[in-house]
Amino acid sequence: MADQTITLEVFRYRPETDNEPTFQKYDVPYRADWVVLDALNWIKDNVDGTLSFRWSCRMGVCGSCGMMVNGVPRLTCSAFLREFFPEPVRVEPLANFPVERDLIVGLDSFMEKLKKAKPWLIRKEEKPLSEGEYLQTPAELARYKQFSMCINCTLCYAACPVVGHEPHFLGPAAIALAQRYNLDSRDQGRDERQEIVAGHEAVWDCTFVGECSQVCPKHVDPAGAIQQAKIASTIDWYTRFLLPKGQTR
Amino acid sequence: MLRVRPPLTSASSHPRVPFFKQVAMARSKEVFWWSLFSAGGALSALFLPAIVAVTGLAVPHMAGNEHAIRHDVHQTLVWWPVRLVFLGVIGLSFFHCAHRMRHTAMDLGLRHASTALGVLFYGGAIAGCIAAACVLRTW
Repeated sequence: MADQTITLEVFRYRPETDNEPTFQKYDVPYRADWVVLDALNWIKDNVDGTLSFRWSCRMGVCGSCGMMVNGVPRLTCSAFLREFFPEPVRVEPLANFPVERDLIVGLDSFMEKLKKAKPWLIRKEEKPLSEGEYLQTPAELARYKQFSMCINCTLCYAACPVVGHEPHFLGPAAIALAQRYNLDSRDQGRDERQEIVAGHEAVWDCTFVGECSQVCPKHVDPAGAIQQAKIASTIDWYTRFLLPKGQTR
Repeated sequence: MLRVRPPLTSASSHPRVPFFKQVAMARSKEVFWWSLFSAGGALSALFLPAIVAVTGLAVPHMAGNEHAIRHDVHQTLVWWPVRLVFLGVIGLSFFHCAHRMRHTAMDLGLRHASTALGVLFYGGAIAGCIAAACVLRTW
């Protein structure tokens, strides 16, 4: 077992020297309990210190080591080599993002989209501290808890064909997080978010391919969140039409 | 801290805008078509198999049989509320199909032609509804 190796075909792009990306093959010791991230770190430590990639926690919490592994968006800290051995493993930067260097993609557009979705608690009026905490029942927590598990790993953006076609699409994670706060009993900011979330470049761009939910490592189900947001927006729209002026649901 | 709500400027936030104008406005029209798509999907999943079984299998079988269709069955099928239910399910199924076809075509690279695709597919669905209404009227 100790002598066995597995080949990693790694996407390389060094903007200061390369005109275009290339793939570089590395033979890495095969260990059944190694993940792709371990193999990349082995390459960086032993073969090529210039190989660049993001990683941090190694336990599927930080969301920074997302890459395309054999064409599928995965957290490389949870993609075991034994899933692929003895076949080679192709490692590429996340699809649908601009490549900055090797396996590192630019996340500026995602961060802008995230900010637009306002994924934080918005209160129209804060109650004074003397009135205590904002209490929440287990049922109220259960309404949004699944969507709160998002770690912003952006695998869903790499998997979403609409993001590929339509760079302005707000995208699965941002909409799921908007929905997470819309469903929170402590939040009063739904109207603010609706201006973005119910717009053309958000929920209505989604064609319900569902790949975002397939690849989500935290089982957030962004596709489900988008469908919920569509239904809520549709009810809003018909309510505005049917109710006398000025009334909202 | 008191957060000031920004002024709402989009069309759909003005309740006094007439319905047909809201439909025509960019942000709103997807809501309208999606609601028909969604209703069509739900209704066709629930009722279409039963409608096909009754109108496509049971009635032709009875008609071809030596026994004629029972009078009360026939009366129920041509009762106008039943015809309206058939029209609703068939019509919304057309819109379900049209919306899915339009978005599939957009996903396949025709996103720039979304308006033309809308005219083609939603127009086709409206034509399908009219045809279904004509058939059901003389049923």
